[in-house]
Amino acid sequence: MDEYAITVKDLKIRYKSVQAYSIKKSLLRLKGVEAKAFEAVRGISFEVKQGEILGITGKNGSGKSTLLRALAHIFSADEGSIDLHGHSVSLLAIGVGFKNEMTGRENIMLSGMLLGFSEKEVLDRMDDIIEFAGLGEFIDMPVRTYSSGMYSKLAFSITAILETDIMLIDEVLSVGDEKFKKKSYEKMKSLISQRNRTVVIVSHNLKTLEELCDRVMWMHEGKIVKIGEPVEVLNEYREFMK
Amino acid sequence: MNRFINDTKKYWKYTLYAAKSQLKTEVANSYLNWIWWVLEPFCFMLIYAFIFGYMLGRKELYYNVYIFVGLAIWDFFNRCIKSSVRMVKRNKSIVSKVYLPKHTLIMSDMMVNGFKMLICFGLSLGMIIYYKVPIGWQALYAIPSLITILIFTFGCCCILLHLGVFIDDMANVINIVLRFVFYLTGIFYNINIFPEPIHSLILKGNPLAFMISGFRDSILYQTVPSRKWLLLWFVISVALAAFGVWNIYKNENTYVKVI
Repeated sequence: MDEYAITVKDLKIRYKSVQAYSIKKSLLRLKGVEAKAFEAVRGISFEVKQGEILGITGKNGSGKSTLLRALAHIFSADEGSIDLHGHSVSLLAIGVGFKNEMTGRENIMLSGMLLGFSEKEVLDRMDDIIEFAGLGEFIDMPVRTYSSGMYSKLAFSITAILETDIMLIDEVLSVGDEKFKKKSYEKMKSLISQRNRTVVIVSHNLKTLEELCDRVMWMHEGKIVKIGEPVEVLNEYREFMK
Repeated sequence: MNRFINDTKKYWKYTLYAAKSQLKTEVANSYLNWIWWVLEPFCFMLIYAFIFGYMLGRKELYYNVYIFVGLAIWDFFNRCIKSSVRMVKRNKSIVSKVYLPKHTLIMSDMMVNGFKMLICFGLSLGMIIYYKVPIGWQALYAIPSLITILIFTFGCCCILLHLGVFIDDMANVINIVLRFVFYLTGIFYNINIFPEPIHSLILKGNPLAFMISGFRDSILYQTVPSRKWLLLWFVISVALAAFGVWNIYKNENTYVKVI
């Protein structure tokens, strides 16, 4: 029997009456002004097997990123459930928690711990991260002195080297100059392809999805249109988008 | 409760590291760097001594120390409260990308402001030695008073963090409320100057007035604060903090949708 890493059942996520309002508006609301509700994810169910790579595509506003954030526990489900079967999860986020006045090394600690890793885990991987980023002596200089390419290299290296059981990726990342772009894409591919790693990738790049994924899910207006073999789903999606 | 303890343990190192980073960031571009942490409160201390001691000629016993200690605690409370209202929106880049228990943001901020308060306490100790303030066993009451202040501040911050996400103009309201509470706390004067029943009302109705006054009086004037009221405010502060944390846990996942 296959072991599942992610089980999503009847998931609904709404943006309803939770927008910030002023005290004046809140008084008006008491007089019956209704807030608009918008359902970004409309009752979807699917499962991802352990070690599987699931790609999600769909046009803008189809609920892909909202779904990904719900899987990462950043959003809560309004209805339905998400079960990760006890696996650790992280949304691959570049440069999260970076402080410009801190050195590259200090930012690795800060960002790594923010991603949920212990101090020891980050310290253990510190040399790998520094080596992969290839910033040389800049690693001990404040991040504000970095070029945007160097910033991206460091940020990418942190998320690429620190690994969780389930990896959620919002657009496959290839950053920095041409050389690092190739290196980061290859690293991403190797991270994604590891047998025991479950990956969910949201992307508009159909070629990448076809190349990397075991299955692809096409979402439209918060619902699943089709989920299955990458070639089959993506061909239908291409037809739809014409 | 268990979740709060587990999360606090899990993110403790991050909280500490984030506080250190914040302190470092604040002085990173200045010539005197960390010296500002000591120099700034020291200059304030000289200003108060000049204005209240020399120009206004206040004759209250150890008046300079009295206002300096009071201001140190008030500044801590004031900074934490103001900062908590915009805490989630200010950390949008973090909370929209990773899950982080939101109370750790408050704790980190309290550590930053607590560090500044500790420096002021260090300077106060210097003043206590300089003015030869006699210290009695009653000074021990400063500890429960301070702990109560910390828990009370944490509780208020948790509640305001939540409200600040949903109500845009909360920061404006808080500014006004804080100004009012400031004058009712008697930082620059002893609230004993008010006649009864106003004095008792302020002391019992305003926890900050009670706790700051209890802290100062126990150190400077060998006075024991009302144990009954101290215990009561301690219990209220713990209840406030427990409610604040529970409320954040209940609603924190919707914060990202709002911001």
